[in-house]
Amino acid sequence: MTQSSGKSNRLIATNEDTLGPYYPISLCDNDSMDLTEIRSGIINKPLGEKIIINGCIKDINGNLANGILLEFWQPNAAGIYRRPDTETHHKLDPWFTGYARHRTKDGNFTLTTIKPGVDVDLETPRAPNITLTIFSDGIMRIVTQLFFEGEKANDTDPLLLSINEELRDRLMIKPDGEDENGIKKYKIEIIMAGDNETPFFDDLLS
Amino acid sequence: MEKLGRQIEIGPTDNTSNERTPRNRLHLIPDNARGSFAPYAPQNYGINPAEADMTRIAPGRPRGEGDAIKVTGQIMDEFGRPIRNSLIEIWNANKYGRYTHIEDHSGLQLDPNFLGVGRTLSDNDGNYEFWTIRPGEYLARPDIGRWRPKHIHLSIRGGSSRIITQMYFAGDPHNDTDPMRILMGDNFDKNLGKEYETDGEDFDCGYQFDIVIGGKNPTFFENN
Repeated sequence: MTQSSGKSNRLIATNEDTLGPYYPISLCDNDSMDLTEIRSGIINKPLGEKIIINGCIKDINGNLANGILLEFWQPNAAGIYRRPDTETHHKLDPWFTGYARHRTKDGNFTLTTIKPGVDVDLETPRAPNITLTIFSDGIMRIVTQLFFEGEKANDTDPLLLSINEELRDRLMIKPDGEDENGIKKYKIEIIMAGDNETPFFDDLLS
Repeated sequence: MEKLGRQIEIGPTDNTSNERTPRNRLHLIPDNARGSFAPYAPQNYGINPAEADMTRIAPGRPRGEGDAIKVTGQIMDEFGRPIRNSLIEIWNANKYGRYTHIEDHSGLQLDPNFLGVGRTLSDNDGNYEFWTIRPGEYLARPDIGRWRPKHIHLSIRGGSSRIITQMYFAGDPHNDTDPMRILMGDNFDKNLGKEYETDGEDFDCGYQFDIVIGGKNPTFFENN
């Protein structure tokens, strides 16, 4: 098929639709919310600092949003994503995929991961971030990106600079002590609608 | 005129939609941050070919109640290029409109021979096929008498391509009042399976449901 540069020659996309309330829980049986273990029972670990992020997703009334599907996507400790254009990158970490998926029954989640790094070789380096995709009943897919409070790279991150200061703060994952093994814990609250609504981003029009 | 992100609309008569739809417009992503918004799912799934036959719980088991149907289609990007080897997850209600999901408390009739969950992969040309039982409609809002029309849920994930959508059936009288169908407007026909005859095969009929995944993500790594 010939590639067209004119928007008018493009096919019309199928409409995205809601997840509905009955996404089969068993389809997530092989998904993991621990990105520090590429599969269970192996000695190899990804490079970087292991962290635990506790979060929740709330609706317009401040209630937890039950029955939603979450997908997380992040670069490794060196700021490199695992994708086709980085296959041979010297900073790619063989023991880190950066992709996690989770169906949460009650709207809470816990992600165990490596703190994402900064790719300093980029023309415009990105602050450490985690992309979050939310699928829910009542709404089509929505997407946002979460950052770590107090990171120096936040001051120059192009996505953070594209929104105002108040909205920026709503994307910040905040420190929340340590667990019994000394692993740093963080917390974040995502508000889908209403007061203090989390900013979401348009990956169809941009 | 300044370009703006989408304002997502609230599905009429849909309480969850009202509770969970952002009231603010989506924000546009600056070009130098766009690449980070194209998640690339690892292709580490292993699936059993029998998972594409949802008419039975397992090979050798009897078929579920209702009409067996075949659903076929091609998955492609906006340029018509096939999206290969993507994971397709499928779920639908039984002929009585009941899901086997533990959180479906409707009390509608269960079918001991129908699970309603399946998986398959698109092939090298982006084509897929699965078999299921034609789902029933069900009363979603008893308080206002609003039904959900017959529909099959599909989730597609392959490389940087991602969509969750639903296939609807032409002529279902409940289509016109469905909240998401109302939001789709004239584009609703993109979400209709196109019925065809399956002479000589053990199906009531087939439905062709081609899926076009929009936006930059499906082609992000081809064009950059």
